[in-house]
Amino acid sequence: MFDLAELQGNILRGYTKKPHVRYLILEVADPIAARRWLADSVSGRNGVPQITSGDWGENKPETCFNIGLTYEGLRALGTPSASLKMFPNEFVEGMTARAWKLGDVGPSAPETWPKPFNEPKRIHLIATIYAKRVDQLNDVQERAVADKKKAWTLLDTREGCSFPDKRDRDRVHFGYLDNITQPRFEGVPDSQRHPDRQPKAPLGTVLLGHKTNLEGLMWQVPQPEALGHNGTFNAFRVLEQDVEGFEKYLDWAASELLEHPQVDELLPPGAEEKIGQVLPIEGRRGALREIVAANLCGRWRDGTPLALSADAPDPEVDLTDFDYGRDSRCPYGAHIRRCNPRGGQIVQRIANNSRRLVRRGVPYGPRYDRTSARVLDEPERGLLGNFIGASLGAQFEAMSYDWLNLGLQDPRITGSNDPISGANDPDTGWFDLPLKSGTMIRLQGLPRFVRTRGGAYTFLPSLSAIRFLGSQMM
Amino acid sequence: MSTDEGFVDRLRENDVFKWVASRTLVPLWARWTPVKRLPGGPHPSFKQGDNVQCMMNLIMPLKIKSPIGRAEAAKAIAENKDAIFAGLNNVGTVHFARFVIVGDNICMFSVYDGDFTNYIRDFIATIGGVFNAVVELVEGGDDVIPCEEKVEAFIQWVHERDLYQVPDTITDFLRDQEELNGDRAVSPVNDDLTLLPRKMVLQLRANPNVSLGSGYRAYPGFSVAQVRKQLGLGW
Repeated sequence: MFDLAELQGNILRGYTKKPHVRYLILEVADPIAARRWLADSVSGRNGVPQITSGDWGENKPETCFNIGLTYEGLRALGTPSASLKMFPNEFVEGMTARAWKLGDVGPSAPETWPKPFNEPKRIHLIATIYAKRVDQLNDVQERAVADKKKAWTLLDTREGCSFPDKRDRDRVHFGYLDNITQPRFEGVPDSQRHPDRQPKAPLGTVLLGHKTNLEGLMWQVPQPEALGHNGTFNAFRVLEQDVEGFEKYLDWAASELLEHPQVDELLPPGAEEKIGQVLPIEGRRGALREIVAANLCGRWRDGTPLALSADAPDPEVDLTDFDYGRDSRCPYGAHIRRCNPRGGQIVQRIANNSRRLVRRGVPYGPRYDRTSARVLDEPERGLLGNFIGASLGAQFEAMSYDWLNLGLQDPRITGSNDPISGANDPDTGWFDLPLKSGTMIRLQGLPRFVRTRGGAYTFLPSLSAIRFLGSQMM
Repeated sequence: MSTDEGFVDRLRENDVFKWVASRTLVPLWARWTPVKRLPGGPHPSFKQGDNVQCMMNLIMPLKIKSPIGRAEAAKAIAENKDAIFAGLNNVGTVHFARFVIVGDNICMFSVYDGDFTNYIRDFIATIGGVFNAVVELVEGGDDVIPCEEKVEAFIQWVHERDLYQVPDTITDFLRDQEELNGDRAVSPVNDDLTLLPRKMVLQLRANPNVSLGSGYRAYPGFSVAQVRKQLGLGW
């Protein structure tokens, strides 16, 4: 058993009761002051916000504060070169250098990213504040970058907030219920809200220095032990979501399907009523819109997995206690199945369950209202996402390249991209809607709905590592 | 050859000149214009079909440069034949793998789908012992075995030994040089296509062994699983 107090809290906790999240994107201004700041952050001395650990003890913190360092940040702090050399290539190169592996091409290419992500080498530390109220965010920010310390230059911030209505707290802009399931880890108390048929993940899936899911394989732990052990990596992503484009695509697809000779197999006459009992829809066309939305994601917008209820959403079924057996009616190319094929058949037989990630996301930008009058330019909205795993290469990048954007895991989807988050293009994008008879209806013209607007690979150090980095004798 | 070419233009056809130039002019050029080694493997591509059936061409100099050393390499492969087949089956993304001895090098050529690092990592996880048996016979190999415990370093080591794939077109060759050299290479001088032979000569000095092109296929790219599924072999 390991000590939860050694870990930063955001690795194993979702902070779900703190809907407001602000990211401070910082550059080292003075390495000595920055190291002192890190040392102070462990216990919250001298006004620096205290790092929230994984063990809260009796008192829940009012606000949470966590940090991630880029490779450039570790360098700027003066981390010894012997230690720097032990970090994995993808982290050293940084997210922008790995763009083609992540599908950050065309409109998502790093060259199009706005400030501060247009100067990735200046991004040294990303601090995250979680709070119930905005004034608390302001207060923590003020303490983190107080002028008198001159440790950091604040390059910019990003801010998000869960939707206020309790029913919608875990919803994302596309309208789906999200944040349903996270990996459960061996040796960690299980806080999962739902039963889960997936095996518990070895701790090495999310922390350096522990057994990984690939038998016998260990990821390199940067030395000294205090620096690397119990650390992990995070892919921070600013993902703009084109909700209007998504809804328009559903409109278009529903109209096409209404004319399709096999439409009654997809939606038997009268079946729209059952869908309408759970989701707000208008008639048969509205039901088809929701069928398309459900198939693209692998879940109905209320969270019901297609693997358990393919014909209509069902509030009674479990949200995560399922697998993708041979008779599963979840499309092979659906978003959640591509990201995590669970125990389903995949080409890379040893890779089942090996690319799992802890995901922490919060929406940013105003909520989309389909019924309101259209303005010419929709404001930017999307997701501030964190994808956490002990190996960015073996988990986040492997998932992004082979599974999301190439579809290598199943010959029936190879050559297509993820229908929701993939780098699609209307000229080539396609998605197969499965029918009960085993045949498919192919939807063509799938555009890109998610555009990357920034991001960085960061190392999430343990509390010991923050102490080590904060030591003036490093 | 057109008749209006001058004496200097015709020099490049002259065997004596080529012999002298290789020993004098090329080293001088290389001193004036240092050329970095280009990385190996297929050029990053996001085009469907480009990222399946990718080529890996590894040239690994044997530690023992004699018939004994070569025989050891042959033995290492033969002893692991069954494991190699099992690995191919479980990794699922490799079309072919060949081992060839050329001079005192053991070469591993393969055709794989998807990302190079995933391919090597999955092989380490499946049959890391075979990699260890081969790489321990190779110069510099001891630093990266056992590969199961040095996954990241091993993948990087293999990547560094994968041959640069010389593009088939001039523009793609210049693109690679620009990517390698950063903004400097965008200057008009370096983009002068008439300098290409010189650039090619210098690049082949930095990368003595290369793959010409990225493999030529008689049909569009398909993944292993697509082929197996279509032929009813199961995948």
